Amino acid sequence: MMDDFERQIKDALARKDPSPFFEARVLAAVKRRAEERRASARMWWASAIVAALLMVTGSAWQYQRTMREEAAGKEAKARLELALKITSVKLQRISRKVEGI
Amino acid sequence: MKFAIPVLLAVLPLAAQDIKMPAGLDRLAEKASDVVDVSLDGALLQLASRFLSEKDPDEAHVKRLIGGLKGVYVKSFEFENRDEYKESDVDELRAQLKAPGWARIITARSKRSGENSDVYLKTDAGQITGLAIIATEPKELTIINIVGSIRPEDIRDLGGHLGIPKIDIGPVRNDKDKNDKKDKEDDK
Repeated sequence: MMDDFERQIKDALARKDPSPFFEARVLAAVKRRAEERRASARMWWASAIVAALLMVTGSAWQYQRTMREEAAGKEAKARLELALKITSVKLQRISRKVEGI
Repeated sequence: MKFAIPVLLAVLPLAAQDIKMPAGLDRLAEKASDVVDVSLDGALLQLASRFLSEKDPDEAHVKRLIGGLKGVYVKSFEFENRDEYKESDVDELRAQLKAPGWARIITARSKRSGENSDVYLKTDAGQITGLAIIATEPKELTIINIVGSIRPEDIRDLGGHLGIPKIDIGPVRNDKDKNDKKDKEDDK
């Protein structure tokens, strides 16, 4: 009984040669992992750059839109003031004539 | 059906304008030495309103004033010489400003200066819904159409505010000679 156990231990701890191409397989696995990490990092950077570009483009578009809207609003305000000025002056002159009769 | 929406969108501003400006006015623009053409529909009035400050009393007043407006249209032509346009150029316009709907509330004529002005109001169920002014002078023609709820005196009283000159209206009997003199000076 004891001999059997000892033999099993001995067999388990016995020096064995690695299977053929073991070293090559380990090195390939290490290289593959490194390659995957690099690809993952590249993907992360690409995503970050695309996100930053989208943010910059979006902000620039929003800024231009605000500027365009502000310019259009100021122009509309100036045109409104001009229209009110002409109308007010005409009505004042008409009032003056009517009051003067 | 495919064209219904674009046609509707094209017609809407004309509908808002309330009165149709005669096509002949474009010919006058070519002859005129100075032309002012302001066309503000409801959307542009709203946009302009956003740039009127609530803190400035004058601007806040105008903001309230234009709150009930749907359109402001002004065409003004100044000519180098007298009689470069004919009264008939605005006949088509006057024809539109008739009852029902429109009523002429003021007519002011001056044979001396040749200055004639008509003020029309459009009412609907007792509410003012439009104002039109046709002012003719020997060297000037001005057409104004304001669409929406407005009282003429509200605009008249803007004189002295917002850089709009205030013309002395007061009791004019004593100032009549002075005004006559000014009219003559204007004619020169």
